[in-house]
Amino acid sequence: MPPAAPETAPAPRADSSPPLKIVPALPASRWLRIFFFFSSALLLTGFVSMLFADLLWRTGWSASRTILLILFILLFAFSAIGCMHGVFGFFLRLFGDKSRLTQMCDYATRSIAGTSTAIICPIYNEDVVRVYEGLRVTFESLERTGQLERFDFFILSDSTDPDKWVEEERRWYDLIRELGALGRIYYRRRVSNEGKKSGNVHDFLSTWGRRYRYFIVVDADSVMRGEMIVDLVKLMESAPAIGLIQTMPALVNAESLFGRLQQFANRLYAPVFIAGLNYWSRGVGNYWGHNAIIRTEPFMEYCDLPHLPGRRPFGGQILSHDFVEAALMLRENWQVWLAYDLEGSYEEAPQGVIENAQRDRRWCQGNLQHGLVLFVRGLRGASRMHLLQGIFGYVAGPLWLLFLITFCWMWGFQKFTGLSNITVHGFTPYLNLSGTEHALLVFAICMAVLLLPKALALADLARDRERQRAYGGLGRATASTVAETFFSTLHAPLQMLWHTQFVVSNLLGRSVNWASQKRAADGTAWTYAARRHWGHVLIGLFWGGFIWWLEPSTFLWFAPVFLGMVFSVPFSVFSSRSSLGARTRAAGLFLTPEETSPPPELDTLRVRMAAMSGAGETAVGERDWGLAEIVLDPYVNAIHVSLLREKQLNPNYAESLARLGVGQPEVRVLGAKLLAGGPEALKQEEKVLVMSDADTMSWLHRQIWLRPGGTLSPWWQAAIRHHAR
Amino acid sequence: MDLSLESALTSAGDPPEQAGRIAGRSLEEWNAAYAKVESYFHALRVRNKVLLGRLVIHVLKRAMRRAPGEPQRSATELAAEEMDRVVTDWFAQVLQEPPTGTDQMLSTRGRLALLLVDMPGKWQEQFLRPGPWPEAFVSSMRKAYLLAGPDFQLAKMTPRPMHLGPITTLANFSRLPAARMVAAWVGFTLALVLFFLFTHHRP
Repeated sequence: MPPAAPETAPAPRADSSPPLKIVPALPASRWLRIFFFFSSALLLTGFVSMLFADLLWRTGWSASRTILLILFILLFAFSAIGCMHGVFGFFLRLFGDKSRLTQMCDYATRSIAGTSTAIICPIYNEDVVRVYEGLRVTFESLERTGQLERFDFFILSDSTDPDKWVEEERRWYDLIRELGALGRIYYRRRVSNEGKKSGNVHDFLSTWGRRYRYFIVVDADSVMRGEMIVDLVKLMESAPAIGLIQTMPALVNAESLFGRLQQFANRLYAPVFIAGLNYWSRGVGNYWGHNAIIRTEPFMEYCDLPHLPGRRPFGGQILSHDFVEAALMLRENWQVWLAYDLEGSYEEAPQGVIENAQRDRRWCQGNLQHGLVLFVRGLRGASRMHLLQGIFGYVAGPLWLLFLITFCWMWGFQKFTGLSNITVHGFTPYLNLSGTEHALLVFAICMAVLLLPKALALADLARDRERQRAYGGLGRATASTVAETFFSTLHAPLQMLWHTQFVVSNLLGRSVNWASQKRAADGTAWTYAARRHWGHVLIGLFWGGFIWWLEPSTFLWFAPVFLGMVFSVPFSVFSSRSSLGARTRAAGLFLTPEETSPPPELDTLRVRMAAMSGAGETAVGERDWGLAEIVLDPYVNAIHVSLLREKQLNPNYAESLARLGVGQPEVRVLGAKLLAGGPEALKQEEKVLVMSDADTMSWLHRQIWLRPGGTLSPWWQAAIRHHAR
Repeated sequence: MDLSLESALTSAGDPPEQAGRIAGRSLEEWNAAYAKVESYFHALRVRNKVLLGRLVIHVLKRAMRRAPGEPQRSATELAAEEMDRVVTDWFAQVLQEPPTGTDQMLSTRGRLALLLVDMPGKWQEQFLRPGPWPEAFVSSMRKAYLLAGPDFQLAKMTPRPMHLGPITTLANFSRLPAARMVAAWVGFTLALVLFFLFTHHRP
């Protein structure tokens, strides 16, 4: 750590104006829009479901057909809602969307003097370099607006890994020294990570929330442009009935093929979808947990989440807190908006199929838990719709699987019994369709519903030459859309199997734990992919074989479902490779505006990450290197002990530390054991306990330098030699 | 002028030494002590080699004076103790805080102050030097404080009651000890019913 004096800044001011006395109110005309939007989806579902029911009826009704029809209606309704988002969004963009928050508020000239906003970044064992570099570019961008003095940054750590803890503290000091941000960027690590992310935010609000009129939540991989942050505060100032504004984060910085595909899909399709979403949810929108500004006072008053009754996985702490917090804001008439047209909100996405599934696994439990919240008294209908869509995003997987199984069962049963398929006329004889034509019509409509939003997104792009250039031209964007559709067709069956596994496991009260993967130099390792996908391969082979046995001529119709499963291992490995991502980029495929013309924030982030990587700063250190550093390094130890002593000043933290055992004589005994036996002599929680005790940490620093080498474990002797170099 | 190693390390009043020994300890022992003290000052980012050498010699000389009276202790042990004492006493003088002996608060504060005023970059020549020190240095050292957060403004957040509606009944059902067993039986029964329906339909 090259020391240099940080500029000391005065302690941040508290919000200078008195608490707002606002009587919030939801937009009055919302019901008409909600009715119109969902009625459109329902009409489409009704029409196609009738066609499908007729098709089933033509070959003779049965119990399995009833089940098949119910599953079809559910799945199609979900797809129809998605399709309607695309259709409404396209026409809104075509004719000019006047229901945007930025169009409805006169905010541009609004002053934000007298306001104070906290930008909080909850982290948990994250890549520290990436988190801090993201914060750095956000800080610098905000500084360029000249409004920095209205904002404070908080790094809110919940990290349990001792090495991460040390790294966070050390790099925090480096960050404030380099930015001259002492008294502007703060670091706080919680004693226990109770309540996970929502508990972390709750802890911040309980400790400092009253100092700030607003707070902005950013994720570990977020970047936000300064102008956008200022605009968000201006919007909040302009519309006092708004409790929360969610921005639309653009996926950026992807390098692997998978990451670039997700990024492209997000950037091209989202504007149309989100415009549709904003159509019906204006003022009664949703919160996605980060890159959003929140009015502190009502949030503190209404959004503290109770524990749900019952046992896990449904009972206990609410895991996906964001949807519920938005619902609670709305329940109290505070508006929740989606400012989707504000540019400058960014986040990153998983770089591989397996990482994506790992994230889904976490989100699945939280979304299923919303099933309990769905019927909470007083919630707005729009909130219930948001919750329901979140749940269905995961339940759709097992429903689709059930649909396919039921279909194969019917087919197999027919072949097994030797019964012939006698097609009768349907109750839509005026269509004059044969059974095959009828089936093809239903299939074509389903495909159209799935693909129409993508086509509309392309049509939307075709209207704007400047945007076309940002995607590498209309031709390349079209080719990329076709390739992305092919890819997502292969990916969807894997998602189906994974979501089924997650949903079933959660319903049985089990959590699906995966060991962290060992990545190869360029993406997912073959062995790891084989371990994660062998079940998919077997299911694909068995199912494909079964269909071949049933009817070889229809095998090709089902091929997309099996191919994704059978080739899941190479699919997963190759799509995670950065080299393939770079090749497709060189070929002009899957380009996004942030790739063709990177904003300065992302450019700086990329350059700095490359420099840090070149300097070996991003390499993962050996186990317990953090412990060695915190005990041996006079400065790192001093920072750590000072932070611990400051923590003791907060009665809540002091109580938690005492509960942990800090200050007890046993901690000193553990410290002595650490010196004599090295880190291996202590368990992880014992190391954390030792590191939480300020006196023991000071004592350890003194002892390590005072004691003769022979009284220290060989590990420490080696660490001292290494440190001296 | 020829200057022997012994003359650099010993004072005029010190007793004469045997060849290869200083203060009753072997050169190897003092070499190890030197390395230890140098490592610590190195860890404090004292990069100037001349200054580093002078500081190490200063500490070793103090250790050598103690060495004849404490034959049971190694040179490294004595040197480390002297190093700790020299640094802590200096912190006490600069920060105007008396050392308390066992409490390491002063040492922590002193090291933090060194870091915050950028001793290695701006004030290296002042480190361990006896006073008086430049006013800017002393004032920065005494004011140095690491602010990890603004003043606390504690508040208590209380969750509002959430009436789960019909789900309450289900949630309570899941609390029953036999809930899973009953659910498994119901599931099995349903599976039987479905199997029957699937296999007994009329084409």
